[in-house]
Amino acid sequence: MTSSFSGLTNALAALNVQRYGMEVTGQNIANANTPGYTRQRAELAAVGPTAGVAALYATQHPNGSVTVTGTTRLNDPMIDGRARTEHGDNGYRQTTATVLSSVETLFDEPSDNGLAEQLNDFWNSWAAVANNPGDLAARNVVLQKAASLTSSINQSSANLDRLTQAVSQQASAATVEINTAAAALAQLNGDIAVASASGSNTNALADQRDALLLKLADLTGAQSTINANGSADVTVGGLTLVTSTTASTLSLSSGNQILVGGTPAGPAGGTLQGLVDGLTTALPGYAAQLDAVAASLASTVNAGQSAGYDLAGNPGGPLFAGSTAATLSVVVTNPANLAASGTPGGNLDGSAALGMSQLGSSTSGADAAYRALVGTLATDVQRANQQAAVQQAVTNNIDELAQSSAGVSFDEETTNLLTYQRAYQASSRVMSTVDEVLDLLINHTGRAGL
Amino acid sequence: MMRVTAGSASRGALAGLQADAARLSNLQRQITSGRQITRPSDSPTGTVTALQLRSQLKQLTQFQTNANDALGWLTTVDSTLHSMTSQLQQVRSLVLQGMNTGTGNAASNEALAQQVDQARASLLSLANSSYLGRPVFGGTTAGGVAFDAAGSYAGDTGTVTRTVGPNNAIDLNNPGTATFGPNGSNLFDLLTDISAKLRTNPSGLGTDLAQLDVRQVAITNEQSLAGAKYQRIQSVQNTANTNLVQLKSQLSDLQEVDLADMAIQVTSANAAYQAALATTAKVSQVSLLDFLR
Repeated sequence: MTSSFSGLTNALAALNVQRYGMEVTGQNIANANTPGYTRQRAELAAVGPTAGVAALYATQHPNGSVTVTGTTRLNDPMIDGRARTEHGDNGYRQTTATVLSSVETLFDEPSDNGLAEQLNDFWNSWAAVANNPGDLAARNVVLQKAASLTSSINQSSANLDRLTQAVSQQASAATVEINTAAAALAQLNGDIAVASASGSNTNALADQRDALLLKLADLTGAQSTINANGSADVTVGGLTLVTSTTASTLSLSSGNQILVGGTPAGPAGGTLQGLVDGLTTALPGYAAQLDAVAASLASTVNAGQSAGYDLAGNPGGPLFAGSTAATLSVVVTNPANLAASGTPGGNLDGSAALGMSQLGSSTSGADAAYRALVGTLATDVQRANQQAAVQQAVTNNIDELAQSSAGVSFDEETTNLLTYQRAYQASSRVMSTVDEVLDLLINHTGRAGL
Repeated sequence: MMRVTAGSASRGALAGLQADAARLSNLQRQITSGRQITRPSDSPTGTVTALQLRSQLKQLTQFQTNANDALGWLTTVDSTLHSMTSQLQQVRSLVLQGMNTGTGNAASNEALAQQVDQARASLLSLANSSYLGRPVFGGTTAGGVAFDAAGSYAGDTGTVTRTVGPNNAIDLNNPGTATFGPNGSNLFDLLTDISAKLRTNPSGLGTDLAQLDVRQVAITNEQSLAGAKYQRIQSVQNTANTNLVQLKSQLSDLQEVDLADMAIQVTSANAAYQAALATTAKVSQVSLLDFLR
């Protein structure tokens, strides 16, 4: 038996529930553009008489009504996990491509001003001396070309150094960002544990947690595990970065190795790994190749010079000093001291200069070394760009999938709003109908004849 | 079924628009620079080939300069030897006159001897002809003359070489001693001897005449050798010119954009971009809200 007024109570409960549904819909619409927001749904359940209990003893419950059992976050945990993996990979690929592209801009090839063309000009200036060994003007041109060649090589080396410093600074900045995010996650883990133990709604906290996990994945390719109470544990390169409310410190060693809590971590991923790879492999590799160009230039030219004789007939001395790209310099200042002659005695023989002019076509000389450098760089950049493009597409795809389950659709929300609105109107009608019935019972019953 | 949400729709639209815009900007970069390869990664193999072609092109241009220089040198040699030959013809007729006159007419022989002296001075100055400040018969000497005032060789035995092609070095000169004879018995010594004999012993001119003919043959040989070298260099130059044109067109094919092709690509990329923009603008305006009261 239900009480006479249970109809009113039921209708009231229904009104409350439909209003709550409208509130959740309103929240979804309000947050449609909030980054990291996951749409929510009010979970409704019908409330009936307690089964299996004799009506006499049953609790007087507003049976035949509705209640809100919870508010669910409509994300897909599996897709979220995949998204974090792909984001870690994407951060790595994009950063690698950016670092390599920056190196590429330092070598302006093929062009009329690149190092290759300056080498050609340098060798050709020797041919002019070979034609006219007595002409000091032609010899001066050689010195000028040698000076501009060395300054270009010095400049390229300095640019590579500057780029290395910039990448190093970016890596430090990324480390700071990672540690900030890790500390924030540890604190959030505590908040989530408390909230979930006390039964409060943790949806907003979970959104914040997922945003932090995605950020950590982007930065370091962090692997994360979500615990039953909603807190998350994070590992980087096999070492624990965040567990429960404790966050370790991530840092870089002097040799640019990633350390978690002071221990060297395995290959991580993300932006940081891209920068670290640039610092430990790519940039030193190109610097070494540029050094090889400088060393080859200095050794072949100096060997050619010492085999020849200058204008006065004395044996030639070295034209270049230094054997690295940063230290290469021209040491001859008097054009008459360039060795153009192949025989002693101060004649106008040009065979040594002729030999110098042909060094450029050697398959093992500076030109070949430089072409190898440009070729390697070009291939590396092209591969990195292609990989970055592919990974970007994969990441966009998975992001779209994640959005597809967690994102807000206005059409859907509008439809839900209509449904709740209609249910609210109908419940109001139930309430007024019950009221009319009770009015009939209370005010108009037993008054026959009055 | 995949849900389409406001976020996923706009994200997809944006990614598509950005890809279209990137394609357009890449084409624009190629057109404005006029080059297909604007950075090495655009085509790694193309870049390396372009670098090699550029190096070959520079080298070939230098070979052309060398060849022109060699032609200038050989022209000087040729015209010098030509004048020398005609002067030697005159000397020869003077010698014949002297031999015919014999010892009878001292005054006439003195006149002949003076003419020979003049010819000697003129031939000596011709033998010291220079090209760009270098005596062409002096080997690689750093001094200004090939023969000193006494007529003895002042040059060295070095050879002047011009590289006119890959592995194609041409020796431009023989030392003056090869053309004009060794010191002590060279052309100028011979002329001194002739002039002395004209004055004192015209009957002894017979051997000198024979020697004069030997020198003349040597000079003519040298001249024809210079002519042969001139021809050889010209033919090398012709080949090199053809090569130069081929290299330039190869480099241009590799580096430069095909404008007609580019124009078509830009038009289609532009059309795709505009269509994407228009569709995005139309589609993202519509929602259920437009149809509810």
